[in-house]
Amino acid sequence: MTRLLTLLVTLTCVAVSSEPAAAYLKLGTRVDTRTVTLRWEDFPVRYFVSNIAGGGVSAIELRDAVNRAFTTWTSVETATITAEFAGMTAARPNDEDGMTVIGFAERRDQDRTLGATSFLIDTLTGEIVEAEIFLNSAFAWSVAPNGQADRFDVESIALHEIGHLFGLGHSALGETELRNGGRRVLAAEAVMFPVAFSAGTIQGRTLRADDIAGISDTYPSASYRRDRGSLSGRVTRNAQGVLGAHVVAFNLQTGKLVGGFSLNEDGRFVIGGLEPGPHALRVEPLDDGDVESFFDLTLNIDADFRAKFHDRIIVVPRGGGTDNVEITVEPK
Amino acid sequence: MRPLSTLATVQHGLPADLSAEALAEVEALAKAGSTLFKTSVLGILVATLLFGGTSDAVAQVYVGSGGPRRGAVEISGGGMWNAGQDLASRDAVLTGNPGAGLGTVDLFRSEPSLDPVIGAQALVGVYVTRALAIEGGVQFSRPTLSVRLGDDFEDAPDVTATTDITQYLFTGSVLYHIGRPGRVAPFMAAGAGHLRDVHFGNELVETGTEYHGKLGVKIWTGEGRRRFGIRAEGGLSVRNGGFNFDEDRRVVPTAAVSLAYLF
Repeated sequence: MTRLLTLLVTLTCVAVSSEPAAAYLKLGTRVDTRTVTLRWEDFPVRYFVSNIAGGGVSAIELRDAVNRAFTTWTSVETATITAEFAGMTAARPNDEDGMTVIGFAERRDQDRTLGATSFLIDTLTGEIVEAEIFLNSAFAWSVAPNGQADRFDVESIALHEIGHLFGLGHSALGETELRNGGRRVLAAEAVMFPVAFSAGTIQGRTLRADDIAGISDTYPSASYRRDRGSLSGRVTRNAQGVLGAHVVAFNLQTGKLVGGFSLNEDGRFVIGGLEPGPHALRVEPLDDGDVESFFDLTLNIDADFRAKFHDRIIVVPRGGGTDNVEITVEPK
Repeated sequence: MRPLSTLATVQHGLPADLSAEALAEVEALAKAGSTLFKTSVLGILVATLLFGGTSDAVAQVYVGSGGPRRGAVEISGGGMWNAGQDLASRDAVLTGNPGAGLGTVDLFRSEPSLDPVIGAQALVGVYVTRALAIEGGVQFSRPTLSVRLGDDFEDAPDVTATTDITQYLFTGSVLYHIGRPGRVAPFMAAGAGHLRDVHFGNELVETGTEYHGKLGVKIWTGEGRRRFGIRAEGGLSVRNGGFNFDEDRRVVPTAAVSLAYLF
């Protein structure tokens, strides 16, 4: 019997895992003692756009921006996802109506939330049955090709939320600073970084290597399995596994960055979707985002260690994996 | 006792620098003794010459031909050295937030290099003329890739990370021997090769092309059809592909010393 559960993913996502998951964070749900990855099984994903304007953007402009964002994701050659615009609708996001709806909703109570994604999932299989995305019309929005001062770019934020819609969690590939009681992003190399760029920017319209690795690892194409590789290992401190360490793989030949996390008590991590070649590894504590943006707060995330580089260059093979990378970190 | 073929070579060859004294000595031995005795003496002399004798006495009694004949084969093997190479530095770049006044942010910097390496090489050549030879060969080495990682945004301590690469280079060359054939034979060579870089554990193979030019010298222990010698050479190897961090060709100074045998 199928059990359905509504799961809300705002700019906080949850990735609870007893087993390491490949690539960065993918959304998951617990089934008994195991974790299943949230993913769509039926394609194309048919989505509707709500016919309500918001934040200075018309419903048609929203539709076009959302369509462009879906196309960006479905154009990833190493992933097997497709999506289809099903039409405009009077339905609102977050209604459990059997429709996947994207639209504006005014949430003045969520004054730091630009958008959020929620799911209806089969908790036995992790299959996503329905998803909803709302963009908070309490903010000023823009669909201008080059962005518009003091307005957030619909396409950039939609791209992030559609990443969640396909089952991706947050990436930690970025740097932030604390400012005015919140976090301001200084730089990021993933659309799925949990903190948006400032209003007026359109840098978030382009997927990065980390995003592509994540979506491809969730929905791998034949070429992905054949041409990409992975690396895995453990992060330890005083011979104990470190949970929640952010491990970044840097391709020395292409300069591409792909991140992952140690996702169990043994400190085990897997980073998939890597182009073959030599990689440098860097480990850092999770200190550039709120922990709840990445993990369930019941987990004992260890952030008490210094960033460090691994002293070996790791060669990622084509269509395979390099195992048993051991990285030892030191307390702060 | 030398093989008969070696003895035959000695018997109908006359080196240009054979001294009158040595010739007289050989002729005297031939006249004075039996065929068996003559064979034994010549065999000992030739053996001494072939296996490292460099004394005047041995050189004087060597009886051989001039330069390598057409169709002669030369094999050699020995050690080679490749200079270290600085590879393209690359920053780990994050896209900056324009709202924070940032274009890009360097998370850290990587400065890779291939360390100098000593390896082995084997060559086989065939003389097309007395001066011109074509040659094929293989080089094997295990260079270490060292990457300095530093300038970290969060002050991670600098580290030099390493990995080993197994490198094979299969080459084809044309050699031109300069000047009159003799015991000292300078040469120049040029050719191309196929580069095959195998990463540690055979996890990944990267291939590329190579072009080389080199100057060298062969010092033979004699001038006979069969002879041992030492070969030394140095040059430049231009490499494209294989283990590389950018699209540019890279130039690698090389040197090698080998033992050679001509027959």
